[in-house]
Amino acid sequence: MEVKIDETLDVKGLTCPMPIMKLAKAMKALESGKVLEMLGTDPGTKTDLQPWCNKTGNTLLDESELEGGVFRFVIKKK
Amino acid sequence: MEQGSNKSALSQLFQTFFSKHWPVWVGGILLGLLNVFLFMIKSPWGGSGGYNNWGENIYQALGFFGIENVTPTSASLYGMLNILIILGAFVGALMAKEFALRIPPVGELIKGFIGGGLMAIGAKLGMGCTIGGFFSGVPALSGGAILLTVGLFLGTLVALKYLMWEMENLPSISSGKSKTLLAASEGRGAWQKWLGFIVVIIVIVIAYSYFGKNDIMAWFVIIGLLLGLICQRSRFCIVASFRDPFMTGKSSSTIGIIAGLVIGLIGFTIIKEFGIGAGDISIRSRELTWVFPNFWLRAPIGGFIFGLGMTIAGGCAVGTLWRFGEGQVKLWAAALGFLLISPIAKNFIEPGFVKLLPHSTNFRNFMPDYIGYAWSVIIVLAILLIWYLFVKWNERTGKFSAY
Repeated sequence: MEVKIDETLDVKGLTCPMPIMKLAKAMKALESGKVLEMLGTDPGTKTDLQPWCNKTGNTLLDESELEGGVFRFVIKKK
Repeated sequence: MEQGSNKSALSQLFQTFFSKHWPVWVGGILLGLLNVFLFMIKSPWGGSGGYNNWGENIYQALGFFGIENVTPTSASLYGMLNILIILGAFVGALMAKEFALRIPPVGELIKGFIGGGLMAIGAKLGMGCTIGGFFSGVPALSGGAILLTVGLFLGTLVALKYLMWEMENLPSISSGKSKTLLAASEGRGAWQKWLGFIVVIIVIVIAYSYFGKNDIMAWFVIIGLLLGLICQRSRFCIVASFRDPFMTGKSSSTIGIIAGLVIGLIGFTIIKEFGIGAGDISIRSRELTWVFPNFWLRAPIGGFIFGLGMTIAGGCAVGTLWRFGEGQVKLWAAALGFLLISPIAKNFIEPGFVKLLPHSTNFRNFMPDYIGYAWSVIIVLAILLIWYLFVKWNERTGKFSAY
């Protein structure tokens, strides 16, 4: 299932806590129901993201690993 | 058939350790146990002394500041321990195929270096870092350690405010060109596992070479590898334990650290009360192990500066080491700042700072001297329980979380 991506957030090379801080800021600016794609390289994001989504009510639609050690997360705003 | 099932049993074992990150509390308990082992063998875990040893060796080799008679790192317990933590994290990342050189934008590298330098200064002024001063210091029933913790808290909060301000006003610092090298992916990167096994073999050889000559070091080598591995797999982060409740509200890091502190508290108290491992030294000096003369003013000042540094760097004394091993280049800059600034802080900042303070503001406070062992343990446990209840309540209500 391919969803339409409304915005892309590039946090490659950044380490904790910068990815989550940038994500929180980007999500704040997003309209409800829109979908954000985040590209990052910190393995910590994998464990941090689901709890953060649970807490904020956003939905983690998909996570995958791309070439070159890049993690891709697709998140829908509440 | 027989062989096939054995193979899958071994691969199951491997999967248990390396397919997923471990819960932080599992890491915390294991680290607490290993910390007790270190104390049984010699003295508890510490981080900043190792960086200082590296820095002094470098300055001695370069002939700077007239630093001489430095213990070579190969003979320095804590200098070696830090190297082994990096190697252990390297192994953990390789086995999980998570290793990659992750080069951040230049602004982040500068923040790493400054954060490392602040940690070095804070550790010297406060006489301890997040490991020796906090993760070992609190179970050591040191009054100074409790105050150091307060300082760490305040420093973390101020630096978190700064990071949030930076995000709004100077986003260019954390944006720009980044690069990721040597990463594995689904089908590729089997070399990472093999390299992981090779590193383990090399470490076993190193440990073996010390056995019979310096048995304490041999065990520090082995335990160091395990510390690094456990930290990487459980993402044991002391910065997160202080910061996350005020950022995302997440409590798991804090709970992991509390678990480690409780285990350490039980083990350390037993060792101290019974004088276990005292050997030729007096039971009194065993009791005072890791109780530094930083009570009551040095500890919070140093802790505050350290808290600023670790939050800006994104890793404390040990968080920097294991992220170094995982390939986070920002933390390479932090380690460099830490080791280069530490000897400078020791020789040029600490002496003047100590002169400024009245003598009555920096002495050893061993809590059982005042209230006995039982009440010391009860008070520390009560503080940890309150901390636990606070982060759980805050996670639910979001009262103090920024996001």
